[in-house]
Amino acid sequence: MRSPEQPPRWAQWLLVRLHPHNTLEEVAGDLQELYTYWYNRSGKTQATLRYLLNVVSVLPPFVRSRKTDKQYYQQPEPRATANLTSIMIRNYLKIAFRNLKRQKVSTSINIAGLAIGLATCILIMLYVQDELSYDRYNEKADRIFRVGLSLRLNGEDVGGPILGPNAARDLQQEFPEVLKTTRITRETEFVSYGTSSFKEDKLLRADSGFFDVFTIPFLKGDPKRALNEPNTLVLTRETALKYFGNQDPVGKALLFGSEKTPYRVTGVVGDVPANSHFQFDILASLPGYDQQHTGWIYNINFYTYVVLPAKYNYKQLETKISRLAENRIGSELEQFLKINAKQFREKGDDFGVFLQPLTDIHLRSPFGGTELTPGGNILYVYVLLAIAAFMLLIACVNFINLSTATATRRSREVGVRKVLGSVKGQLQQQFLIESVLLAMAALIIGLLIVGLALPFFNQLTGKNLTFRLLTNGSVAAGLVIGTVLVGLLAGSYPAFYLSSFKPVLVLKGRMTTARGRFNLRSGLVVFQFFITISMIIATVTADRQLRYMKTQKVGFDREQVLVIQNTNMLRNNEAVFRDKIIQSPQVTMGSISGQVPVGNTAIDNTTVMSREQPDKGVMSRFYKVDDAYIPTLGIRMVQGRNFSKSFPTDSSAVILNETAVRALGWQQHPIGKELIGHIDDNGVKTYYRVIGVVSDFHFESLRQKIGPLVMFLGENSGNILVKTSTAKLPQLLASLKQQWETFSPAAPFSYSFLDDRFEQVYLSEQKIEQVLTLFSSLTIFIACLGLFGLATYTAEQRTKEIGIRKALGASIASVVALLSKDFLKLILIALVLASPIAGWGMHQWLNGFAYKVTINWWTFALAGLLAVGIALLTVSFQSIKAALTDPIKSLRSE
Amino acid sequence: MRRTYLGEFEEMILLMVAILDGEGYGVTISEALEAHTGRIVTFGTVHNTLIRLEEKGFVTSALGGATAERGGRRKRLFRVTALGSQALQEIQQLRQHLWQLLPPHTLRLGGI
Repeated sequence: MRSPEQPPRWAQWLLVRLHPHNTLEEVAGDLQELYTYWYNRSGKTQATLRYLLNVVSVLPPFVRSRKTDKQYYQQPEPRATANLTSIMIRNYLKIAFRNLKRQKVSTSINIAGLAIGLATCILIMLYVQDELSYDRYNEKADRIFRVGLSLRLNGEDVGGPILGPNAARDLQQEFPEVLKTTRITRETEFVSYGTSSFKEDKLLRADSGFFDVFTIPFLKGDPKRALNEPNTLVLTRETALKYFGNQDPVGKALLFGSEKTPYRVTGVVGDVPANSHFQFDILASLPGYDQQHTGWIYNINFYTYVVLPAKYNYKQLETKISRLAENRIGSELEQFLKINAKQFREKGDDFGVFLQPLTDIHLRSPFGGTELTPGGNILYVYVLLAIAAFMLLIACVNFINLSTATATRRSREVGVRKVLGSVKGQLQQQFLIESVLLAMAALIIGLLIVGLALPFFNQLTGKNLTFRLLTNGSVAAGLVIGTVLVGLLAGSYPAFYLSSFKPVLVLKGRMTTARGRFNLRSGLVVFQFFITISMIIATVTADRQLRYMKTQKVGFDREQVLVIQNTNMLRNNEAVFRDKIIQSPQVTMGSISGQVPVGNTAIDNTTVMSREQPDKGVMSRFYKVDDAYIPTLGIRMVQGRNFSKSFPTDSSAVILNETAVRALGWQQHPIGKELIGHIDDNGVKTYYRVIGVVSDFHFESLRQKIGPLVMFLGENSGNILVKTSTAKLPQLLASLKQQWETFSPAAPFSYSFLDDRFEQVYLSEQKIEQVLTLFSSLTIFIACLGLFGLATYTAEQRTKEIGIRKALGASIASVVALLSKDFLKLILIALVLASPIAGWGMHQWLNGFAYKVTINWWTFALAGLLAVGIALLTVSFQSIKAALTDPIKSLRSE
Repeated sequence: MRRTYLGEFEEMILLMVAILDGEGYGVTISEALEAHTGRIVTFGTVHNTLIRLEEKGFVTSALGGATAERGGRRKRLFRVTALGSQALQEIQQLRQHLWQLLPPHTLRLGGI
């Protein structure tokens, strides 16, 4: 029975709109019942009025809102809910495994990409961590500073991290805040014990403060007294084993140099940590220096370190030291150059000292060549970090790309789940768990890759990196947390995207992704090809520069030239040895010289002046050579003649290179001109006459511009350069060794080939090129994986379209073109973006070289072509497969 | 003695729910209140009180019993819980106890 009397519509409407919906049903029912009751009792007006009043009483803010039923009845027992979640999570995991198993291709692409990205990241992190850990093993690492000299002489910066021998003593005397000081110098010496003799490259000399400053653990002996006495030394464990075997070395003596000076062993230390800016096998005491000629800028050979109090601002000391240096160096300048500091500065020259924190030495020191060991470069650390970040980003991008792409395959699942009551949050949770799972799998595989790649990586970087760092609790935790974050990050887009599907649309099968417009996915493809193309451009340019440096005409003959090293150890017999070996028919010529072009060699930079302009100094390299030097190296004479024994006056003659001629202003007729080669302490000038000019040759690496070179005739022992003309090198070498040993020198026979030395110089460029090649191939690989996955998806998406096209008569070629066109467009965009940026970056890098290749347009064309080629190969696999599919198969379902 | 505070009106409504014995819902409770006590209150007051009683655990409710005169909508039927009946009994006992303590002459009307 439906009562004809109804309460006013608008009041009901108000009730429906404003009353809390979970109690609406019963309240509306009750009110209607009451209305009927009032109507029957007191008539329509009364009923309506009371109805209105009561409706208002159940509207906000008067009404009390009922909490949900669940909160009432299932409130307690938290264990029950926990169980529920764990069941759901187990279900997610199960579904995740099933899904991953069903989509093997996209799963393996995803895991492989992410694993390689992570592996690269871990390797780079290991490397960077090692670079940053340099010298931190010292207990006082934060308090140790090195005092360096900045000196500008004749417009050239000749300063460095070294000072004269007296600076350390003065600092300790003048400043109470300098707690400890120590000085280090390096040298190469021949050390013998009994019948064995070795060339010791890693020999340092230090004063007794060394072990107060640096933390090197002692195995035997007392660090406090180890280097107190003259002619004492400390060995590392390995060196002790080399000389003494299992005997106790302490108290025994090693013989130094050709004079066989005995040095007593006072201690054995553990090996110097690999991440130290100095390395030594033997640490010997400093010889006493003759007091007359010592100071701050005379005999600049001492790396001077100071220890400051904790939390002391070293900049404060730097200003104080500068004042002292002004005083000391100023008076030395007056003594040597006869000018005071003011005049010195007026010439455009300058001097001063600075402090360098110990922990900055390895990565931030600008004095590469003068350091105790070649340092790293903070720039490379940044570049590597950038590469690591990019690799990871690309891997994440692929992950996002692929997961989004495979979304449609799972859209039905999402639809069904939503219909069965899944809320957005649960779906997001499910997809995030899935992606974190993948990320963890990738981490495990990535660690395996790191394990396999570590030996090669160590070879490449010359480091000894181990997994040990990763076993550190916080690092391992960081790695896992980082991976989970990557998983969350990579999974977040698919998670939010997928969970936003409308179930009705999805289940109707109307799930299509928009094509043809520039969406996020295309943006990601452009991004990774941008990185890939940049890397290719960088690699190609570095490779070209390296080849250019290797094949550049250096101006002398580097084939068939043998360098016999350390011939100074033969002492007076050096010339005898030379004369003996050139009698061999296999040897054309031999020259004794300390200076060998390219590579480590004795460097002597001095200022020369022309007789006409004695004020205008030209900083030039001095080579002391004999008459055989120029023909042995095959250097071309441009004018004049070589040194000759038949001219006794040649002892005051010089040969210049073309650059020196230009610098001295003698473009016309340089022969016969005179230059000031030496000024002694009393100001007496020694003049040299130019007898010849040689064409410019690269006596340094191609990083530097060819500078002025002055060659003197003179005694200069060190190496014998031998020009050979034989195919039977082993026999020649054997006979040379035999002859060498007849003089029973203190040094073993050692030799190198000039062209090998040449290769050595470019080792660092070679490393850079190798690293770039490695990383660019990795980026290409990862980018291809991403592209492959995307192409698979696109082809699948358009199966029906392709089927219809084929049924209507499209050719296979046109279908392949159709599928590839979209990708090509993206890669072209990437090329246009990458070219200027990579070009600029490489231009900056090439600026470090005096002789360099130019970046051609074809570099970009090549990079683009390569990228397009690789992309086409990747895409075509899928597109050809799609194009070859029989249209009956693709069209029959539906 | 731990006891959730029960207000006077709440006590009335709870009693009505108990009297109606499972048949109590918004309309019947309002009508019973009016019939037995003569108090006319707005429906919202009854509604809110019932929700509050349910939150305190003195009554439980369930939906059911749709009839045509309410447009096919279900009723929310209330029933006293054990806690509710215990609370009512305690109040009753307390009152009785207090009445027994009352000296007989104090309530003589008008002091006659």
